[in-house]
Amino acid sequence: MNTRSFLGFAGPSAAAMALLILLPLLGAAWLSVHESYVKTELKEVRTTVPLFGGLTREDVRTIPQPVRDEAGNPVLVWHFVGAGNYANLVDLDRLRKAFAGDGLEQIYRDVVSIEFWGALEFSLLYILATTPGVLLLGFAIALAVDATSKRVRGALIFASLLPFIITPVVGALSIYWLFLDNAVVNAVLQALGFGKFYFLSGALPIRALIVLYGIWHVTPFAFVVLYAGLQTLPQDAMEAAIVDGATTWQRLRYVVVPHLAPLFAFVTLIHVMDAYRVFEPVLVFGSNLYANSLQYMTYHILNSEDNYTKAAAASLLTVAGIVILLIPMLRRFAREGRAA
Amino acid sequence: MNRLLVLAAGFASLVSVSAAHAACTVTGSGEVSTLSNSFPALTVIADAMRECSVGAVKVTTKLTTDNVAETAQALKAAKSPYGLVALTNSTFTLAQANGQLRPITAFVAKYKTKYKIEDGMLIKSGNDVMAIAFQVNAQHLFYRKDILDSAGIAPPKTYDEVLAAAAKLKGKAGIEFPLSGTYKSGWNLGEEFVNNYLGMGGEFFKAGTAEPAFNNPLAIKTLVVMKKLLGYMSPNALALDTGASAQQLMQGQVAMANIWASRAANMDDPAQSRVVGKIAFAGAPTITPGGRPATTLWWDGFAIPKNFDGDPELAFQVMMEGLKEAVVTAHNDVAIWTRSAYKPGRFAVGTAESARAGAPPYPMVPQASLAHDALGARIGEYFAGTATAEKVLADATTDYITAAKAKGLLK
Repeated sequence: MNTRSFLGFAGPSAAAMALLILLPLLGAAWLSVHESYVKTELKEVRTTVPLFGGLTREDVRTIPQPVRDEAGNPVLVWHFVGAGNYANLVDLDRLRKAFAGDGLEQIYRDVVSIEFWGALEFSLLYILATTPGVLLLGFAIALAVDATSKRVRGALIFASLLPFIITPVVGALSIYWLFLDNAVVNAVLQALGFGKFYFLSGALPIRALIVLYGIWHVTPFAFVVLYAGLQTLPQDAMEAAIVDGATTWQRLRYVVVPHLAPLFAFVTLIHVMDAYRVFEPVLVFGSNLYANSLQYMTYHILNSEDNYTKAAAASLLTVAGIVILLIPMLRRFAREGRAA
Repeated sequence: MNRLLVLAAGFASLVSVSAAHAACTVTGSGEVSTLSNSFPALTVIADAMRECSVGAVKVTTKLTTDNVAETAQALKAAKSPYGLVALTNSTFTLAQANGQLRPITAFVAKYKTKYKIEDGMLIKSGNDVMAIAFQVNAQHLFYRKDILDSAGIAPPKTYDEVLAAAAKLKGKAGIEFPLSGTYKSGWNLGEEFVNNYLGMGGEFFKAGTAEPAFNNPLAIKTLVVMKKLLGYMSPNALALDTGASAQQLMQGQVAMANIWASRAANMDDPAQSRVVGKIAFAGAPTITPGGRPATTLWWDGFAIPKNFDGDPELAFQVMMEGLKEAVVTAHNDVAIWTRSAYKPGRFAVGTAESARAGAPPYPMVPQASLAHDALGARIGEYFAGTATAEKVLADATTDYITAAKAKGLLK
């Protein structure tokens, strides 16, 4: 292919990527090296606070008030801070102190008590814990659905896809509601004689619930991709295996799985990218005490700390993390591409 | 035939609702959108506001529990799509510190008689009126009168009495954990700390500055009492928010809780409560002898964003249509209204008692939300047993300083 026709084909998508991916990233990078706030000055302010039924109470305080320009608009401070926001997030100061602690356990605990490192810890744990579950369960359901008669298959596929269709925050909330004090699950377990359970009482059960939610939510995606793969299974290879006397297990191991290998890799790739940005269940289940995530941390900085330049830095660190995670996988893809 | 009847009944109720508020009488033309939280009082206000959607005036209302984040974004944007935003102490203070609200002093003067605007509804900053408050809210004591009566326990006035009552009730009358509260790590837990620490007589900042002053023995004492209270709550308590806590009361699982007044009416709603008529309300307990009730008073109100590009006068009129006296008298019990036409009923007792005993307003300084947030995120580690009280307070102080510096509130 000559350069001209290559550019003709690749140009439009390169332009779209520059516009939709590169530009916003550069924008976030630009924000992340700045600091911005409304300039304030301390002023004594008399405020009347309403009580009810017409009663009020006066409140006099020294309160930071915005400094205004001649036109009456608040003065905005905007200056370059370099890596300031990143340093803030990574918090080398506390990190150093943590490593001065005694005993591995104490050091680990102090490190994850720094917001960023704690968020990174659970984001990675979440990937590690959900990925195998999603792949195995998705594969099992795909095999099961594939083995049913054609008549019920449509309904089964639809039902299996439901968890994936539900809005994540709604799904996470329903799981939370299922496991509250005296909620359905607890009531059933108690009625069956297992005694009382407190599923939200500590880091371990809450993290387990979040992982469970993650598997439940994403398995349908693995299922639908692998099920599609099963439809392309070469029948001659299967028949040859049967003629050779291969057991069901051997057929699965030596024919089906190798055939689906690129799809397993694809599902893993997409899921790792998604799982690294886990957000909804963390928001619903007790925020940063028991389980934090990078995405939740960014949301928290943006909305509670009201600091959008630091939030930009946090999101760029998240992007950097995804890239690092994906490098080994992408290299494998590239190798396979070259081999093909 | 049946369907017709239902239709007719529905129509009749619609007519009677709109008859309850006199028709909307705004002048002007254009579009006004509103953004607010979602709870019963705001629903009836939004209904009244939308009645102004006639002819050249169009009113749309958006009620969402994600309103804090959305409001912040609307106020920060070049142009606000919303002509009216609902605010509360903390959000108002931040918006005001950022200079994002439009003074409405002149409109208040112009429409004072038409809408019977009372001084008790005005949120002022200096001499400027910045917002109109419609209700107050506070966390206060909810208790099972039947259970306390039969155990011979008088309604507790202090947290010492709460703890003594809890010790007596634990395990009795099918109650495994007698207490509940808004202890969900994060904002809710931070709010309870603010309530209790102020009740202790604590100060968050060095006078007249944004320098933190909440790492001290009084704060530790506060944390210790809170941990004792947690000992009588469900092991899940650090993951339970106001809604879940109200649920525990309504399901008859707990005997006492210090939760929001805005949940009081739910207790007597047979559709969600198993304890209709059995819950009584009282002021928030004091945490130190002779102290103020350990709670803070909040208000909810509406303001006009400075960056609203529509007609602010129309927006103001729409706001007052939603907050007019007729709305209050037609829905007396859905809120603790600021208007003097409000007749405090049984659901207002807890807030009224707290206010009379001197409960302070939630701190109206912009740095308060930052300190609140830092504490809410940190102190849970102490309650969960993974850090000492000293460490969580030191960590919260460091977090607060970082956040306040980034906002230019600290050098």
